[in-house]
Amino acid sequence: MANLSYVGKSLPRKDALIKATGRAKYAADQEFSGMLYAAAVRCPKPRIKILSISDSKARRVPGYVTLVTYKDVKGVNKWPMVVNDYPFLPEKEARFQGETVALAVADTQNAAKKAARLIELEYKELPFIEDPLKSLEKKSIKLHGDDNIFAKFIIKKGDPDKAIKEAYAVVEDEFTTNYQVHAYLETQGVVAVPESDGGLTIYSSTQCPFYVLDGVAAAASLGYHKVKVIQTVTGGGFGGKEDVPALVAAHAALCALKTGRPVKLIYDRKEDFNSMSKRHPSWSRVTYAADKSGKITGCVVKYVLDGGAYATLSPIVLWRGAVHSAGPYKIDNIRIEAYAAATNKVPCGAFRGFGQPQICFAQESLVDELAHKLKIDPVELRMKNILRTGDKTATGQTIGDSCGLEELLETVKKKSGWDIRKAEGLMPKSKGDIARGMGVSVAYYGVGLGAKGRYLDRAGAYVNIYKDATVGVNVGNAEIGQGALTVLSQICAETLNAPYENIKLEEVDTSKVSDSGPTVASRTTLMSGNAIIEAAAPMRANIFKTAFNLLLAKGAEGSKPMSACHGVFSIGEVSVTFAEVVKECWNLRMKMGEQGWYVSPHTYYNMGDGQGDAYVTYSYSADVAEVEVDLKTGVTRVIKICAAYDVGRIINPRLAEGQAQGGILQGMSWAVYENLLYKNGIMLNPNFTDYVMATTSDKPEYDITFIEKPYAEGPYKAKGMGEVPLIGVAPAIANAVRNASGVRVKSVPILPEKVWGGLKKK
Amino acid sequence: MPELILKPGTLKELWLLPPAPGGSRKYLAGGTDLVSGSNAGMDASQVWVDISDIKELKGIRETKNSLIIGSGVKISELSGSGLISRWLPALRSAIPHFASPSLRNMATIGGNAATASPCADGVCALCAERADVWLELGGKKRKIALQNFFSGPKKTVLRRDELITAFEVPKWKHAGVYLKLGPRAYFGIAKASVAVALELDGEKVRSASITLASVSPVPLMAVKTANYLKGRVLNYDNARTAAALVKTEVSPITDARSEAAYRREMSGVLLERALNSVILTGRMSQVAG
Repeated sequence: MANLSYVGKSLPRKDALIKATGRAKYAADQEFSGMLYAAAVRCPKPRIKILSISDSKARRVPGYVTLVTYKDVKGVNKWPMVVNDYPFLPEKEARFQGETVALAVADTQNAAKKAARLIELEYKELPFIEDPLKSLEKKSIKLHGDDNIFAKFIIKKGDPDKAIKEAYAVVEDEFTTNYQVHAYLETQGVVAVPESDGGLTIYSSTQCPFYVLDGVAAAASLGYHKVKVIQTVTGGGFGGKEDVPALVAAHAALCALKTGRPVKLIYDRKEDFNSMSKRHPSWSRVTYAADKSGKITGCVVKYVLDGGAYATLSPIVLWRGAVHSAGPYKIDNIRIEAYAAATNKVPCGAFRGFGQPQICFAQESLVDELAHKLKIDPVELRMKNILRTGDKTATGQTIGDSCGLEELLETVKKKSGWDIRKAEGLMPKSKGDIARGMGVSVAYYGVGLGAKGRYLDRAGAYVNIYKDATVGVNVGNAEIGQGALTVLSQICAETLNAPYENIKLEEVDTSKVSDSGPTVASRTTLMSGNAIIEAAAPMRANIFKTAFNLLLAKGAEGSKPMSACHGVFSIGEVSVTFAEVVKECWNLRMKMGEQGWYVSPHTYYNMGDGQGDAYVTYSYSADVAEVEVDLKTGVTRVIKICAAYDVGRIINPRLAEGQAQGGILQGMSWAVYENLLYKNGIMLNPNFTDYVMATTSDKPEYDITFIEKPYAEGPYKAKGMGEVPLIGVAPAIANAVRNASGVRVKSVPILPEKVWGGLKKK
Repeated sequence: MPELILKPGTLKELWLLPPAPGGSRKYLAGGTDLVSGSNAGMDASQVWVDISDIKELKGIRETKNSLIIGSGVKISELSGSGLISRWLPALRSAIPHFASPSLRNMATIGGNAATASPCADGVCALCAERADVWLELGGKKRKIALQNFFSGPKKTVLRRDELITAFEVPKWKHAGVYLKLGPRAYFGIAKASVAVALELDGEKVRSASITLASVSPVPLMAVKTANYLKGRVLNYDNARTAAALVKTEVSPITDARSEAAYRREMSGVLLERALNSVILTGRMSQVAG
């Protein structure tokens, strides 16, 4: 890849300046003349029967305009998602504390909030379910269908019961993980603007503008051609702006249609905590069987996600988790059962890792216990069993050429000093009350939407070369802080041999590019990158041909090869710039705007036995965590994370490093701090005072390595990056805590109280 | 946010203001609790009285026997004060544990007391420093021991519209330390913390005051434990006994921040570590006089 000009280089972010100077316009910064403000009226209890909603008191608030309820929904009152069970606004029953039941509209934000507080909601409390395991019991009250199951998956291979029976060693345990809050800096926000033709333009903070389009068109009962969704600069997503912005936008749209005026709806932090998507809490029971040599012969998993009150994305989150739940190991005998259960709590959905971090914590913790039982070093045990090219996954998929897991594990073993520690007799180092320990984990991540989402796994691009040789690019995937604008600009610049500064990626506008699916699943570089390459290909051919002719006209020798780099074409000493070539192309009336369309390779999944080629390819990670545990207080301090990743070729090393550091810190924060609590169906700590997250002071030392195993289908051989660094962090830390203190904490977060409880029992 | 914010420049001007409509006055000092509470919809007052420019509430000064710390003094001013460094080692040691640098630049020590949170770091340390608090209402002044100022979580003995004007802290030779167990490396609310002020006579403890935060409804004076230490040699054994004793004095609860049993145990761990740190540093942290 030595000949590349822009790909593989740490070029500056396209959006760095506007974000650093505060000039970026987020949803709340959008202003329109005559604009009104909406504020949500929220369900105060975990489950209620709605008797009446009245604004008789709210009408006295100066500036109050109107109340919007389910009666104002123009289309069918079901938000189109995977399972259509979530009403845009509830008519008879609200199912979790914080659910929007109505909206108050007023001419200032304060008046709208005040009016919303004065809306009188008459209701009767209904019995509710808090615990997902209780939800699955036969006798439980029914919230969804006749079994409270949003989704269920079974994956079967070989004979795991026989493997367990014949095993030399068997380990089995139960694990739980708690919520994680996305905590994006920008809360949910949208402005809906009514247009003169009866349509709407939606300015939305979102990572999935086409989901917003689906939601608004359905709620407003408008043709898609009358709804235009424009993504505003988005202050973080992490999955939290996948599905729910569509609901928020639909609410604003209903307010705009009713009043005929632009309506802004910006969530405050508490309502964002209370009502928006979260990482699912989980429960799992995992069993591993192994022979004497340490070969893992069987694995049985039961995995339950707490879906919350409505299905939203639970079915596909669960599917990803289930497919990866045996770990990145070559195992012949497998049985995986996975369920998403309904409860009367906030609906959970997408969060970086998408159902994988929870089960990865469980199975990687248990693999360590298997190593202890077998008296084999945890790295060695993994080395014996990890997936390599040609091996088969739990779903029977053969691992392709792009697989660097073995090298990753070797790398973190070496760089973390694992062997030095081993030479010291595997004993943790202690000093006073402080014990130091190390733990390892490995993980893999199916890139893209996979077989369960394959109908959405396509993406478009429009590449338009202006006469002055600048280039406008429309894609359907969004910048959410991850660096998409920059990486996709690099891909475009490289493909056209256009100067990087000439490329402008436009904000996503659903009227400018075909439905490209969501910005999720670490798919944007792969999907939109390939769509750009495809769009650019015919223009590239024209540009290169025209450049060659111009060079000949300038006296270059046609028999010598032409080079194209950094926006200049040359043969020998003769050269022309990209701008000169583009000018000539326009003079020749060549087509300088093209659409591209990329469809992911075929994937397949059998709902009966869960076998099939689940994903197009996999990215990989290995982590070694080094921790200090205070043996008196149980406090864990993560000192260092040594990580290695195979995410294919790296397009922008600095951004990749940033993704890695951010993913590690977010994973660590979930592993040891973040603890969202419910009591009697009410969220106890919907604020940053009591929902504790890692700060920069808690950040560990990072030691990050990329092993670039090229993926032939990827744009410039890239795979997917965004989610990979988070997944294996929690179990590596849990294993390090076990190594340091002897305490196995089987639930995330690994709070000091739990470690202390374990130390007391010893 | 209210429609109206009144901003007197002196106490005299303050007491000339009419009463707030519909309840007691809301005083705005640093605003770190009031403004965020208001944003969260927890304050519906129509008027705030901004006391941040009242000159009598500012500054730290010294009298023959005590320090007078104005209630409007910012936490960051405390950390830069030579008088605090010299005379109030437990308070000095508490400041790095107080919220974040930006909040320390805004929050006032008066607000820290008025909020009456059982986890307040500054107030906990001031109690161990044996502070009194000056209160004023309509020009009438009164002084009470800070430890008696709190009547429950978020509750004080302040009368309607009464204002904290200053803290008066005695100047006495002592060693002091503050230890906090928070939820992360910094910028968190204490699960338990302990402030210790020890007057030493050679190796013996002449007198001790021990205050704990987050382990009872109000900042807790551990009187039994302090009395145990009084007259005893300060050594590791006695520190361990004191730690065991303090666990019987606290009355922690389980809530979103921690568990009662853990907090009780940590009260002991923190006190033992605090006492041991005084032993280790010898008299280095003791006030020179």
